[in-house]
Amino acid sequence: MNKRIVNHPILDTLTNKKDISFSFNGKNHKAVEGDTIASALLANGVRTLRYHEESGNPRGVYCNIGHCFECRVKVGNSEIVRACLTPVEEGMKIDSLTQYPTPLKGGLRHD
Amino acid sequence: MRGNQTVVCRCEEVTLEELLKTIQTFKCSSRELKLRTRAGMGVCGGRTCRASLDHLISQKEGKNPTDSIPLKYQPPIRPITFKNLGDI
Repeated sequence: MNKRIVNHPILDTLTNKKDISFSFNGKNHKAVEGDTIASALLANGVRTLRYHEESGNPRGVYCNIGHCFECRVKVGNSEIVRACLTPVEEGMKIDSLTQYPTPLKGGLRHD
Repeated sequence: MRGNQTVVCRCEEVTLEELLKTIQTFKCSSRELKLRTRAGMGVCGGRTCRASLDHLISQKEGKNPTDSIPLKYQPPIRPITFKNLGDI
């Protein structure tokens, strides 16, 4: 589901750049070189980047200039970065942050 | 809009209603409001809601904005992982 704007009335048509493939939550997506993770996912129609650690509400890009940290995602297996500032690289494995279990409060059970 | 249900602090999901109730019951300063409701303590370090909290308090206190003590900018200025902090 490609929602990338290729022909723009002002910016003209997109110059075709190298394709990049990356995975988000286990699903493979295509992006263009020079994309940030946020724009690459938006182009693929993915708007929910993470879930709130307390309430589990879906969250996505908000400020898109690196101030609000709403778009933070996990890259690789431990590095957490802001999707709106991090360029996509070939074969990048991206995972979204999810709600934390609250076993003591009898909350979400994570077995 | 959502009236009192508007979320003022996105990181901690604190609504306007909660803030108003806390201000009303405790007559608190912006710092105490932050301590009581966690608004402004989120990952963004108050970037989104610090101004609204200060404004809310100065409005309630009836002073002009510069009289009431504003919220501090707490270090770290940007979230930092323990790995980088401890350089392990």
